[in-house]
Amino acid sequence: MARGAADLAVHDAVFCDELKAALARTERIGVSLRQPDGTIFRTQAMGQPGPYFINFDGKKLKPKMAIEVKRRKCEVLNRVQVTNLYLHDGELAGFTGFDIRSGDFYRIRAKAVVIATGNTNRMFNAQIGNPFNLWYCPANTGDLHRAAFDAGVALANMEYVRMTIVPKGFSAPGFNAFFGMGAQLVNSLLEPFMTKYHEMGNKAPRNYMVWGALQELKEGRGPIYMDCRHLKPKELEHLFFTLGIDKDTLPEFLLAKGYAKEGCLIEMTVSEPMQARPSELCGSGIRIDRTCASNVPGIFAAGDASDQMGCLHMAMAGGYAAGRHAAAYAQKIVHLRPLEPAAMAAEEARVFRPLERKHGVTYREFENIVRVICTDHFGPVKTELSLTGALAKLDRLDAARDELRADNMHELMRAHEAMNIHAVSKISARAALARRESRFHPYHYRADYPHTDDANYCGLMVIQQQPGGGVTTRLERLEYAA
Amino acid sequence: MPAVIDPAKCNGCELCDLYCPVDVIHMEGKVAVVRYPDECWHCGACRQECARDAIRFEFPLAMLTV
Repeated sequence: MARGAADLAVHDAVFCDELKAALARTERIGVSLRQPDGTIFRTQAMGQPGPYFINFDGKKLKPKMAIEVKRRKCEVLNRVQVTNLYLHDGELAGFTGFDIRSGDFYRIRAKAVVIATGNTNRMFNAQIGNPFNLWYCPANTGDLHRAAFDAGVALANMEYVRMTIVPKGFSAPGFNAFFGMGAQLVNSLLEPFMTKYHEMGNKAPRNYMVWGALQELKEGRGPIYMDCRHLKPKELEHLFFTLGIDKDTLPEFLLAKGYAKEGCLIEMTVSEPMQARPSELCGSGIRIDRTCASNVPGIFAAGDASDQMGCLHMAMAGGYAAGRHAAAYAQKIVHLRPLEPAAMAAEEARVFRPLERKHGVTYREFENIVRVICTDHFGPVKTELSLTGALAKLDRLDAARDELRADNMHELMRAHEAMNIHAVSKISARAALARRESRFHPYHYRADYPHTDDANYCGLMVIQQQPGGGVTTRLERLEYAA
Repeated sequence: MPAVIDPAKCNGCELCDLYCPVDVIHMEGKVAVVRYPDECWHCGACRQECARDAIRFEFPLAMLTV
């Protein structure tokens, strides 16, 4: 299912070997994968060969994890935006960051770090023109993808542009719950269309669902709808309640749209693209090995920020594994490595410079330009020319980075996020340029190379900044059983 | 206007400010305010933590009508 993107050796080590313990920990902190009656509710979707997905109420998972962190007496620096990673003799020395409320600047020496900052959003145009109306969290802006890349960390799966099917007007997750209630996608001729694009129909892998929807829209059979005409108003209200586990405000949105009625067709659309993994079964970002370690000693990664972990199951199992491996590594390091004072002073000046400018470019203007370029050139269809054109335009924006202004700490945070989105968009375009085939279409759809080429591209496109500043790409082949 | 906080119900506990993942809610004195409504993700994390039922959501016209 994730052929060419999932490294099964890593999956064995950080998911399969860790899963049972991860499930036990999750239950111990108070989040059960079981229904109130003790049963496990399984569904089959997204191309899975059987009912592998478990539906459960995980709304309190993050607050419960925070309570567990507090119980273990961990020191937490909340609201600190990390700005850069620093090496000494090729190994991690520490990082810098600032408190987005107080403006305190931090220089932190560390033997090891685990990067778990998710994917990169706000890179492409979104519904109703609001860049915060997104499927994934708009606070994930590739900050540590960029910082790790600048520190020489190799990234992989960065070329993929991920999308899903969302309600028209609200980019919210949860469309799979509709299928669990027997709904299906139809076009404006009321024709179910998914079997035209994949034999599994509405249970096809997510990329095929998006591909099918895009074709229907492109060929003039849109809008598309979730056909719920078989559901009674009470059943619809139950469905909406279930969707509220995916996104708390989605039920009232659907009710406000007037959908809780007989003969209901819920208008859907294709979400905004994002830089993220091409499958539920891998990640995109920092290339990790079986110990969740990157190529730079001391830098580890987990969750969507890594190239191999995707979705909650991998985050819960792999996040713990990354922490355990990072701690074991740190125990072997006798001395903290030094942070160079001159580099610290230069970074502090760079970080706060937007606050000193009375005139200049706002983060909104800068970010909007990035979004227009990315959407027009690879959101999602790509060609050699569209990608080289995108890179030329994105390079021309470099000068505007030095004109960004911020009137307060909130805007300073957004300005740095905008610069990181800009930097990641270049990384993504460069990786996409190197993959001269299509894979998981439309997540990596090269109109000039529209077919999947396993002979030459079944593997990870690894992109890395070299010590001299040049950027290299290489294909790291992945092998699978026939 | 997405998250809307009723100042009469707010008890100043700061939990909504703490849990908001996008730095949209700030305390002004002893009352929480939605300072950056255009940047609200509509995740509802603030409302889930509010013990005073002081937070409701109003979807922008465009979200409901496109």
